Amino acid sequence: MTVPMVARFLTTASVDPAGLIAQMTTGPGSVAPITPIVVLALCIVAGIGTVLLLPTRRETSIRKIGGVVLALAGLVFAGLLARSQAGVGAYFWIFSGIALTGAVRVVTHPRPVYSALYFVMTVLASAGLFILLWAEFMAAALVLIYAGAILVTYVFVIMLAASTTGAKAAAVVSEYDNVSREPIFASAIGFALMGVLLFVIFDKSVPLTPRGDVSPVPAYPVVGGTQRLGAYLYQDQVVSLELAGVILTLAMVGAIVIARRKVWQGGVQTGGTGGEQITAPMTPVDDNPHSIPVYGTDNPRQKAWPET
Amino acid sequence: MSQLALQHYLAVGAIMFAIGLIGFMTRRNLIVMFLCTELMFQGVGINLIAFGHFHGNLSGQAFVIFLLVIAAAEASLALGLIVLLFRQRNTLDADAWRELKG
Repeated sequence: MTVPMVARFLTTASVDPAGLIAQMTTGPGSVAPITPIVVLALCIVAGIGTVLLLPTRRETSIRKIGGVVLALAGLVFAGLLARSQAGVGAYFWIFSGIALTGAVRVVTHPRPVYSALYFVMTVLASAGLFILLWAEFMAAALVLIYAGAILVTYVFVIMLAASTTGAKAAAVVSEYDNVSREPIFASAIGFALMGVLLFVIFDKSVPLTPRGDVSPVPAYPVVGGTQRLGAYLYQDQVVSLELAGVILTLAMVGAIVIARRKVWQGGVQTGGTGGEQITAPMTPVDDNPHSIPVYGTDNPRQKAWPET
Repeated sequence: MSQLALQHYLAVGAIMFAIGLIGFMTRRNLIVMFLCTELMFQGVGINLIAFGHFHGNLSGQAFVIFLLVIAAAEASLALGLIVLLFRQRNTLDADAWRELKG
């Protein structure tokens, strides 16, 4: 079963007949009103829940209360949205619920490894949302690039940092992970932004008249959406695509140069644990790119593969 | 895709963007801060795909491809910088660099 067929199955299986009937009776343009007061109140409640949920030195029971408050606010908002009887089905609610729960846990989990794993969950749910929107190639690319490549790099860096601070230090959650910075102000700013965005989306939105055909099933399953996307990219967006390649190459060169730079250890140690220093050999002084140091040896001039 | 369904997807994107913003401001671990920027990228990507689907053309998906490119470049550079900063101070705490405030 190919991916477009799966996408078609998902969209057709998720059509709610009652919602369709209600939409036909009330007309497609009648937005069930979500008043700004309700959005404001929900944002305030969710902000209080987030403040309670963010990692601090408080008891874990208070954090659980914050999580419950936040989940209730989300459920009320979802209920208000579901009242408007849109053409979204059960899969939209499942995927968006998983994605937003994962997002909240990324922000609020004290351990970085768990944050990264919850981010993988968010990425997979977002890929599900992309499939619901007929973007199956983007869903696959999202899973491959984000969950496959970027997150593995993140987890490697987390492991690198955790292993050099010692196993005993890694067992307890470090202080900078456990205490968040200015949770009240940050939640106020974030939920103010969220309230403004939701207000604009639901209240101030003029009914867009979509260009082209807007049938729920696009007109290109014969060719395949991925083929159409490839033709579009390589016919209309050639320069942008080449620029993307240049940007990726530049980023790779820059990352290698930055990560191999010599680090002086004579600086002031503030906030460090005062534990062991990193004794890895530094990048050699001469700019010979063949003399890559071998980590774990005392001789920084030793080469991995000596040119005989 | 009706107007209402578009609003649902836009709402999901906006909420995810705001959550990422909150995380970027509150967390003190450098790695988690950059994870939160990736979260904001996700929200924007959902918005772009929803608009592209709504308009029935492929510009939204093309935008998301370039968004993935920028996200990958940003992640590689940011992680290189984080490794460098970690080797200097031996901690991932962003507050270890608070003398940059001047």
